[in-house]
Amino acid sequence: MIKKKTKLFSTAVVLTCMALLAGCGGSKGASGGGGEERVAVVLKTLSSPYWKYVEAGAKAAGKELGVDVTVVGPNAESEVMQQINMIEDQLNQSPGALVVSPSQPDTVVPVLETATVPVLLIDTDAKLKNKTSFIGTENYEAGYEGGKLLSSLLQKGDKVAIISGALGNTATDERVKGAKAALEEAGMVIVAEQPADSDKTKAMSVMENILQKNNDVKGVFAANDDMALGVLRAVEAKGLDVKVIGTDGTLEAVESILDGKLAGTIAQNPYKMGYEGVKNALAAINGEKVDKRINSGVEVITKDNAQEKLEFLKTISK
Amino acid sequence: MSQVVVKTKNEVMNGTLKRVLSKFGPLIGLILLIMVLTVLSPKFLTVNNVMNIARQSSINALLAIGMLLPILTAGIDLSVGSLLALSIMMMGIVTVNMGMSPFLGILVCLAVGAGFGWLNGILLTKLRLPHPFISTLGTMNIARGIALIVTGAAPIAGFPYAIQFLGREFVGPIPVSFLLVIVVYVIFHIFLTRTQTGRYIYAIGGNPEAARLSGINVDRVLIIVYTISGLMAGLAGLVMVGRVNSAFPLAGLSYELDAIAAVIIGGASFMGGVGTVWGTLIGALIIAVLRNGLNLLNVPADFQMTVIGTVIIAAVFVDVLRQRKSKKA
Repeated sequence: MIKKKTKLFSTAVVLTCMALLAGCGGSKGASGGGGEERVAVVLKTLSSPYWKYVEAGAKAAGKELGVDVTVVGPNAESEVMQQINMIEDQLNQSPGALVVSPSQPDTVVPVLETATVPVLLIDTDAKLKNKTSFIGTENYEAGYEGGKLLSSLLQKGDKVAIISGALGNTATDERVKGAKAALEEAGMVIVAEQPADSDKTKAMSVMENILQKNNDVKGVFAANDDMALGVLRAVEAKGLDVKVIGTDGTLEAVESILDGKLAGTIAQNPYKMGYEGVKNALAAINGEKVDKRINSGVEVITKDNAQEKLEFLKTISK
Repeated sequence: MSQVVVKTKNEVMNGTLKRVLSKFGPLIGLILLIMVLTVLSPKFLTVNNVMNIARQSSINALLAIGMLLPILTAGIDLSVGSLLALSIMMMGIVTVNMGMSPFLGILVCLAVGAGFGWLNGILLTKLRLPHPFISTLGTMNIARGIALIVTGAAPIAGFPYAIQFLGREFVGPIPVSFLLVIVVYVIFHIFLTRTQTGRYIYAIGGNPEAARLSGINVDRVLIIVYTISGLMAGLAGLVMVGRVNSAFPLAGLSYELDAIAAVIIGGASFMGGVGTVWGTLIGALIIAVLRNGLNLLNVPADFQMTVIGTVIIAAVFVDVLRQRKSKKA
């Protein structure tokens, strides 16, 4: 009887250890590089296509330039403290440089202020005095282009709705600001502005509610593609002809544009952000000069150039 | 005659093993975990990393010791993550936005946590909501909603030094936040083992009807339990603000899960009446050590969730074994 109990307990412990070993077995290679320079990249999360593109760009730069690149990120963009802990743990391993995309800009300042290695921020900026560079989309510009694109497909005086991202997300907030400016300039009437947490399903219900009150909405600008696709579903369910514009330029969005469903998207260049992040991190390690602010650019994607974009995304999605 | 002797010897050894496992099971687990991680990662057992772990465990350790009390009474507090957020947002409004004294801010932070905790207690005992799962699920959403509304979901940054002190300072190499955890845990230990209310908490968890019949004011004790849990959420929030110098409405999202995990891994029983302060500390350390170790090994975050889930099941399984043994005996 004693033996059975000890055996069962030991089994529980061994299972846990096995889980640990199995987990680290696959990724041990990434932490290998001893003498080689290493760039640690901490993203908002690795659980979404957008961040996978950033990861692909970062790893590609590592391969081309001969730098060891470690890319990590929490389960979700909302796991702020988990990101802070990951930054601490990466710094503890003495990387040559750190590339970070902060989920909540203010929160990374205390931990990055004391970093003794170059720190680069990508996608989302923060008020960090010792930052080497910020590489990303000028989100206001992206939103402005989105608003311009939507206006070009509508008539003056048409009713439009704006779907914003997670409350407090500065990136999506900037896009909404830009879009509003462009839409108002073109004489569109904004009848609704609602947040949908950058989530597809939420955006669908939010849009359904908006359509209840304003079923003559002619266009929608969404601060990211996931939400734009959710809006599209709500619109299709009611059989309405509404022009929907998204932001980001994900694979799903581009495919939807090719199918003639989504009217367009303002593609960011997450791949370039990851690539430039690592490239400039290496430059900083080597003591070269790095631009303080690097615009990774936006691209207006419509049916005309969607095919080209699709090809590109497919190659980096592997 | 000889048969009786053999039986007795077995029972004695069973009893000892059971006691050793239930008392030291979590600790043995932690030590084994540390040993495995030290072998796997050279950076693990360094002073810098150990101090990182101490600091990284503080927020959850504070939430967990607060969570221990409801769990001891066979209840639960799902609202602690949201209370953390609401407490720090209110502190931010008072101190940063309205420019008032940091000490008033700290008071507000703790008072909001304790106040909503008290509300949890009232909802459970006076409104007679059937189970704390329901009442705290309600306040979890209410508090999160208020936290988002008060600043229109904008974060608040730039807190005065006095407020940041607990979360960011060090005494030599040791983080103040961890020293705080130790002090708090000692206080809770004394509270639970040496005071009347503490003993009543265990009694209610063990057998609520018997507790009531023996004259314990169960309602009063439960209100105290949930108020303390809420207070700890406020304190945990204060430490978080010290670490990141900002308060944001989505802070603490899902934190109740890691707090519950810490309490359960530490050996407390969901059925109530069983659990210790030091077990909870071990539970919180196991989680922090696991996460830190997996970070150092660059294990993806999603897999970290799988590992923690496995550890929770393993820990509860051991508890089930122990209970089965004691029933047989």
